[in-house]
Amino acid sequence: MLIKLSYLLLAGLTNGSVYGLIGLSLSIIYGSSRVINFAQGEFAMLGAMCAFFFMVSASLPWPLAMLAMIVVVVLAALALDYGIYRPLVRRRAAPLTIMIGTLAGAIILYGLAFVVWGPEQKFVPPVLSLEPLRIGFLITNSQQLSLIGLFIFFLMLTWYILYRTRFGLSVRATGVNPRTALLMGIRSERIVQFSFMFSAFISGVAGMMIGPLLGGNVGMGLLLTVKGFMAAIFGGLGSPFAAAAGGLAIGMMEALMAGYGTSLYAEPSIFVFILMVLIVRPYGLLGDYEAERR
Amino acid sequence: MSKPTLPAAPTPTILPVFVFLAIGALIPLVLESGFYIRLAMLVWTYAVLCMGFNLLYGFAGQISLGQPAFYSLGAYAYAMLQIKLGWSPAVALGGSLAFVAVVSLLIGLPLLRLRTHYLAMATLAFMLVENGVANRWIDFTGGQSGVEVPALKWAGEEIGRTGIYYTVLGLAAVVLLLHDFLIRSHLGRGMQAIRDDETAAQALGVRVDLYKLRVLVLSSVMAAIAGICFGITSLRVDPSLSEFHVLVSLLTIVVMGGLGTRFGPIIGSVIVVALPQVLTGFGRFETAIYGACILVFLIFLPHGLSGLVERKFQWRADRATADAKRRKQVLKEEVS
Repeated sequence: MLIKLSYLLLAGLTNGSVYGLIGLSLSIIYGSSRVINFAQGEFAMLGAMCAFFFMVSASLPWPLAMLAMIVVVVLAALALDYGIYRPLVRRRAAPLTIMIGTLAGAIILYGLAFVVWGPEQKFVPPVLSLEPLRIGFLITNSQQLSLIGLFIFFLMLTWYILYRTRFGLSVRATGVNPRTALLMGIRSERIVQFSFMFSAFISGVAGMMIGPLLGGNVGMGLLLTVKGFMAAIFGGLGSPFAAAAGGLAIGMMEALMAGYGTSLYAEPSIFVFILMVLIVRPYGLLGDYEAERR
Repeated sequence: MSKPTLPAAPTPTILPVFVFLAIGALIPLVLESGFYIRLAMLVWTYAVLCMGFNLLYGFAGQISLGQPAFYSLGAYAYAMLQIKLGWSPAVALGGSLAFVAVVSLLIGLPLLRLRTHYLAMATLAFMLVENGVANRWIDFTGGQSGVEVPALKWAGEEIGRTGIYYTVLGLAAVVLLLHDFLIRSHLGRGMQAIRDDETAAQALGVRVDLYKLRVLVLSSVMAAIAGICFGITSLRVDPSLSEFHVLVSLLTIVVMGGLGTRFGPIIGSVIVVALPQVLTGFGRFETAIYGACILVFLIFLPHGLSGLVERKFQWRADRATADAKRRKQVLKEEVS
């Protein structure tokens, strides 16, 4: 009984870490540019598929493969910035138009990945071993644990960059008011570019690590985007940490729902639940706290 | 002094609608091959789907990425009401439209309090949920293989391809006339006011919440009609109706044709249906090309192809208003 519960919680923690990381990256971009990036899940998809490509097709060792993957993902982020965000912002497009632009970016990334890898499910090799590992009465593996570790690491890194460096201060300033920040000598466009690259990096690594557990296929991006967004709005889109916490909560709820109810209705009921929360608290559960902190 | 009359801004005529419908009616007489008639039916189906989205996003400014879900719900309801309950096609048509209207009302009531990003993501989540249920509730929906839609019958005999085409055209004509009527009437201007500034629209007496809800329900019902059109042409409904590629096609059509234009959805559908036929080896690159098209049009031609044509007429209207202003000025000078 207790064992089942702890297994479910562990599974929830693993998946929740991924949703949290995507929520975190969505919120970083939103924080600096007020844009919801629909292509966020596609970065995770690229991470998983590149891991497959470089480790299986090109048979590179994993550190090299990871570097190559990061290069690809960051290039995709730059393309998104130069090809979609900047032209639309310079033409004074409405926020919703920019959002559709990022959706077009997601469609292009998905379409290109489809051309390269086809629709089949790919086996993404694990970076760390999938050998069972005993912790007390729990049996897990290091790949699963590494996801939770990465989640904590990126959370700390983001916190450090945002709240303990001068650069982070200018990122936050841009988020509050881009025009004023510009007048203060902060190059807003650079900041937005950095946030695109950094969040693509986080999502790419998350995708690479979740690949062996979920299985990689080119269509996985959309669902990850939606879940990452749900995580972000559940916690509060304004703060990367609230978004990450929302991700953990969603992962847990999903695991518990699938373990004690049916897995068929786990997703729908969680979406409905989050929408309910959104109606009561439109800025997310932790949203107000962050608003005060600003 | 003669009574000064200001020329009214030229009201758009309904004529182009009838031109489109006449072309549609002539197609089976010109094109003998069944393949082309099937393509024409697909054009009308997509046009109906996109007209709903055009009203909702292009005119009222409310985005719903869940349109494919209503598209597939309409088709499923139409098939199920006939198979499980044995309703006749006409009654099933009404029943399924009523069903989709109720579903969209239930979803719209809470969701329309959300704005922009939230509304887009929430409706996208609805689409994914609908698709998941259609795929996994195998006992009821038949899972991957879907359900068969009973063929249309007239006096006990199955009607031929031309008959089906005219049925689809008839449904499309109703939607087209409604779409055009709404745009030209005060309702359309109310919707545009909501899109441009909600507070101002409210101050001018537009009941914002009511309008949004009505447009959402209407566009869902239009999507359901499109789904039924698809059902009676292909005689099968499966979960692929609410998959991502339908959303991609929908956005491509609306953005290429022109958001918030009168005939954008039709022009866009013709292109999106014809493009794969013209370009060989298109299949693999389809999604990437559509994505690129959306992007290019968003950046360089935000009013789409239809906008190019309508701007010509707009220019005439602008000249008329400029004319009116000048005469007003002359009038003022005469008085003083």
